[in-house]
Order: sequence, then structure tokens, then C-alpha cells
Amino acid sequence: MFLAFALITLLGALGMLLQKNIIVAGLFMVAAFFGVAGLFVLLANPVAAALQLIVYSGAIMVLVLFVIMMLSSHEEEAAEVGHPIQRWLSVLLALALAAGGVTLVLASKGVRQLAERGAAMPPAVTLQGVGATLFEGHVLGFEVAGLMLLAAMVGAVALTKRNL
Amino acid sequence: MTGMDAILHGGLQGYLVVALLLFAIGLAAVLLRRTLLMQFMGVELMLNAANVALLAFARFRGGDLQATVFYLFIIAVAACEAAVGLALIIGLYRHRDTTDSDRTASLKQ
Repeated sequence: MFLAFALITLLGALGMLLQKNIIVAGLFMVAAFFGVAGLFVLLANPVAAALQLIVYSGAIMVLVLFVIMMLSSHEEEAAEVGHPIQRWLSVLLALALAAGGVTLVLASKGVRQLAERGAAMPPAVTLQGVGATLFEGHVLGFEVAGLMLLAAMVGAVALTKRNL
Repeated sequence: MTGMDAILHGGLQGYLVVALLLFAIGLAAVLLRRTLLMQFMGVELMLNAANVALLAFARFRGGDLQATVFYLFIIAVAACEAAVGLALIIGLYRHRDTTDSDRTASLKQ
């Protein structure tokens, strides 16, 4: 199961990276988000999986696809000036980061100990538990998050409206 | 479980490797693609990679609920970022008629 969801996630992300058409790339992105939601279910966290599907695959991707449809060209524009050296350097950087990180994770003793200590599956995260933790310890953060969403909403309207 | 076995059967290392590769792909999308929308989607991928790592650590620390609360805040910020970022892209497209980040390197009209 883990391998299936991991492959959906990574192949979706890779498809997004390599796809020329932005709409198809957006749909690949939805596949990657579904894969991540599956990983969250395997991590005994159905609450996060549901939030992932609702917020990312639902709201954010609909917003992105809506904006893509508003813009006229769906293909990447031809480069004004090519940056061959920078492009190769960035490929090298991403590969080095991935390879180095994977090596570190596999070699780390602490990660191995944590994996062995927590190998037993914990009880699944419930919405009730999350709500209790949220309102017992993070009420202020919750209110600030609401205020921030309001500010972002007003900001988005102000930025896109032609004449206020 | 150690090494390859953990990666194949969903040990902590497996989730961390998936998160790292997802982050690297997102970084490559930001660095290699020129369309602002594709770069934005790359940023979203990187944010998701961090979430996978966070919740993987939480599960292997005995199902810590704080992590899910943090995840809640992270997606609230991500939603704000998506709304404002896309509004900026639309505003830019109205002024310049392009979403190519190479062509919009200068803020001056």
C-alpha cells in the first residue's frame, strides 16, 4: 500500500515537472495530492487526509485551474534568453539535495531508533482529539489564522479588482 | 526494519525519502520552469513534502496530536498564499500580458 501511494505521489509530481501543457500539469498535481492524502491515511491520520483532499485537491487546485483557464496561453512561452548553465546547475542542485538527503536519512542512527521505537501503529487521529488539542492550547493561533485568511481574502480582491 | 526494507514497506525512512524526493521535484519545478503558475505549483509541492515529513514523525512518536494541529495551521497559511499568489499572477498578466518569470524580472513598467 505504502509503495503504491508513494509511487502515485512521486510520479504525479514528476509528470507535473515534465509536462509542457499547464492544464495537464495541474491535473498531475491533483494526482500527487491524492497520493499524499493516501500516505496520510497510512500514517493513521484520516483527519489530515480529509483536510488534504478538501483544501488542496478541492480548493487550491480549483483556484489554480481557474486561473490557468483565465490566462490565454496554456503552453510555456519560448525562452527570451536561454540559461543553459543555470539550468544544468539547478538540475544538479536538486539531484544533489535528493541524493544527499536520502543518504543522510538511511545512515542516521536516530531515525532508525525512532522508527523502531514507534513501529507499533498508534490509535488513529480523531477529529475530536484534534479539536480538543486545538482549543486547549492554540486558541490564539486559531483566531490569528482566521484573521489571516480574512486579510488574504481582502488582499486577493484588492489585487485583482481593476478599479476599486 | 532497516535500509531498503523500511523504504519498501513504509517505515519512517520510507516516508522521509518520499518527502525528500517530493521536495527535490518541487525545487526543480521552481528552478527549471519559467511559467509563474508552474513555479507556484512547485512551491505547493515543497510545502506538501514538509507536511509528509511532519506527520510521519508524529506517527512514529506515538500519534502526536500537536502535529495535526500544526498541519491545520500550515494549510491555512497555504490557502492564504495560494489566494494572494494567484491574485498577483492575474494582476501581472493584466499589466504585462505574460506569466513568464524571465520577462517580468523588472518591477518597473
